[in-house]
Amino acid sequence: MVLRAQGIHKSFPGVRALHDVDFDLRAGEVHGLVGENGAGKSTLVKIITGAYDADAGLVEAFGHEVRHGDPRARRRAGIAAIYQEPTTVPEMSAAANVFLGRPQRRGPFVSRSDTHRAFRQLTTRLGLTIDPDVRAGSLSVANQQMLEIMRALVADHRILIMDEPTASLGPTERERLYEAIHGLREEGVATVYVSHNLDEVLALCDRVSVMRDGGLVATKPVERWTKESLVTAMLGHVLEKPPPQRRTIAEEVVLRVEGLSVPGVLEEISFTVHRGEILGLGGLVGSGRTELLRALAGADSDADGRLFVRGQERPWPRTVRSALALGIALAPEDRKAQGLVLSLSAAANVSLTDMRTVASGPLLRERRRLARAAEFMRPLAFDASRLSESAGSFSGGNQQKLVVGKWLHRRPDVLLMDEFTRGIDVGAKAELLAVVRRLAAEGMSIIIVSSELEELVEGADRVLVLARGRLIGELGHAEAAVERILRLVFEVEEEAEEGLAT
Amino acid sequence: MTLTTSPTAQERLPRLTGKAGRYATVLLRTYGIVLAFAVLVAVVAASSPGFATRTNIFNLFSQWAPAGILAVAMTYVILAGGFDLSIASGFSLCAVTAAAIGRTEDPAVAFLAALAVGLAIGLVNGVLVEGAKINPFITTVGTGFILNGIALVATGNIAYVVDNPDFGTIGAGAWHGFPYSGMILIFCLVAGGLVLAKTVYGQSIYAVGGNAEASRLSGIRVGTTVGSTYVLSGLAMGVAGIIAASQLNSAQANIDPNIVFDVITIVVVGGTSLGGGIGSMWRTAVGLGIVATISNAFSLADINPFYQDIVKGCIIIGALALDAYARRLAGRTRTRPGPAAVPAHPDAPPGGGDRGS
Repeated sequence: MVLRAQGIHKSFPGVRALHDVDFDLRAGEVHGLVGENGAGKSTLVKIITGAYDADAGLVEAFGHEVRHGDPRARRRAGIAAIYQEPTTVPEMSAAANVFLGRPQRRGPFVSRSDTHRAFRQLTTRLGLTIDPDVRAGSLSVANQQMLEIMRALVADHRILIMDEPTASLGPTERERLYEAIHGLREEGVATVYVSHNLDEVLALCDRVSVMRDGGLVATKPVERWTKESLVTAMLGHVLEKPPPQRRTIAEEVVLRVEGLSVPGVLEEISFTVHRGEILGLGGLVGSGRTELLRALAGADSDADGRLFVRGQERPWPRTVRSALALGIALAPEDRKAQGLVLSLSAAANVSLTDMRTVASGPLLRERRRLARAAEFMRPLAFDASRLSESAGSFSGGNQQKLVVGKWLHRRPDVLLMDEFTRGIDVGAKAELLAVVRRLAAEGMSIIIVSSELEELVEGADRVLVLARGRLIGELGHAEAAVERILRLVFEVEEEAEEGLAT
Repeated sequence: MTLTTSPTAQERLPRLTGKAGRYATVLLRTYGIVLAFAVLVAVVAASSPGFATRTNIFNLFSQWAPAGILAVAMTYVILAGGFDLSIASGFSLCAVTAAAIGRTEDPAVAFLAALAVGLAIGLVNGVLVEGAKINPFITTVGTGFILNGIALVATGNIAYVVDNPDFGTIGAGAWHGFPYSGMILIFCLVAGGLVLAKTVYGQSIYAVGGNAEASRLSGIRVGTTVGSTYVLSGLAMGVAGIIAASQLNSAQANIDPNIVFDVITIVVVGGTSLGGGIGSMWRTAVGLGIVATISNAFSLADINPFYQDIVKGCIIIGALALDAYARRLAGRTRTRPGPAAVPAHPDAPPGGGDRGS
């Protein structure tokens, strides 16, 4: 056994991210780690690599306890991590990247010929053809990942952690990565393989662990898993909740989108949004969900398509302001980077969307601003006495409420909410979901995106499923179920793989 | 109120405990610079009898009017997340314009021309930075070189001397001994502070400097807002140039190439963050007071003026270190859950926790 994590606990303010997790890794195995978004996979990986501290628990590598909070200690223990986004130095050569920090030297000088020779040995070992002198940044993502694998081999790392390494790879590149992983297994390297692609996990791994709600549900040899049993384990005991009243959606179409395309991201998307409807957008990360919302909100200017607002064709909005003029507003994915000005007060953030309403001419009316912010934030169960504190001092859930409150202030006809429950605790999630329902009941149309499919199924009147930038299905409230969405997505993913492979 | 050293504070930060203590911490963090200024003034006044005299103080106002006015505009530029390094040469060019035209024309015409040149400089900077999306640092260094070159070519580096006595009124005139230029400075500080703290425009500046993307998605015209601060800076070059030319009754290219560093020192020492979005005009006023007092102390004590630069350098670095320290503290407050009954950041903009402006 090369790595053992025992009784790992980890909490973030308001969220229990990991609860009593035991995880072990054997030499020469590929260990799959699956679970829904938010199940705790990334947190576990970050604790193993030392990016995070565990609140409680023990991590041992090669029989030695690895001290908390010291990534370098873990690197010395021989753990390397490879992420979806490569971490190569783009301006340096491929060979220089591989030998970063461990130059092949002769005396004080870096030896070019030794470097090249060692680089070629590695490429042969992995069955690759990469020019040692090529600029790393000019290589494909797949080849950059190969450089990282080579870097791990040079450092003689015995544990490799791969977090969704194939998410941005084409089928042939994936094959090559699988081969490389097989090769590493032969050499006794242990690999933790995190992926959403269940087929891939079943084909590649020796053992698979499933995480759910911050706990490790089960670890079994791959033969004892099937795709179905993995999905069930990931979702837990799915209770078929009765739909919370069949809501009747108005016939009135607020928004009709025809042939929306964003070069390289979205292809010919068409759909309608009714008045007072909650429309869910489902799909994997990278399926184009965020891009679809951003295109509608005028946040990306290279979108093109036909847009009908209440039956009347309008030019596609190319700026946020023109989308707002059409009554379309975006509550973005990343509340800290895109949603809030953290240095401004909560009240100031809420009024930012429509400062005229809290001003007389050019003069801001601080009292009116506080009153209005309180008016919108109180129904969201937000402590109005804290409205003059800076937005940065609030918890994730309260910040998300501020992002919603901003748009209550402006009252758009269509509100787009990207990952509206990301990183907030269960209680705040339920409150936000209730707010969304109430807004819809008041006639606002809402498009929600969430990586947590259960939330879409529960909250949305209708779910559109996206895969690879195309709209691949539409499920009504009655038919929407997590399994159906996943099945739709995986069918398309597989077809695309096969289509590209031939 | 007790001052204790928190046993868990890794860096042994002095911590005030209790609600009142927390409030005191915030007060100190927010208004500590005022305290520093007060101490400085007391020390200088005690050691140099020449300092706290009417004439000396009035002189200081007139002497620091150009840099102070430029600092008012620079506060806008920095709060919006930008930087303007073209002010020294822009200021010279405006002064030269005023003097060149003032030799033959009415002073009003000369001053209007200088303002027009300043406005044009600001527009060019604003359009380059926001329209062409060039880094403000590089853009304004570039325009600074160009403006300096224009001033040198146009004048042949010869001083333009104005004989018309009316030309000197703005710079040298006074009301009951208080210089007009000082009044203009005070007007700029107050008006600039009010606009920043009390208007929709001022709020947009804070928002854009604090988070441009969030502001854009909120429907704020980010480009126009940021661009406008360069226009303000250009206008300030015009006003400062007029005052300088009028004070000297002459102007020359390279009138004061180091003024840009004085201006940045003033803004930064006050505590306005170079990162944008955090700061206020009263801080610039205090920063101006500190820089002016120190430099005055050196000349009153008859110390080699070259030492001044060493001190200035130390002050800038010290101010930035303090800023980084305050941000770390603020970051810690932020991550701590639970109600902190006090503003989370030591210096929040108006509408933030800071009630000063």
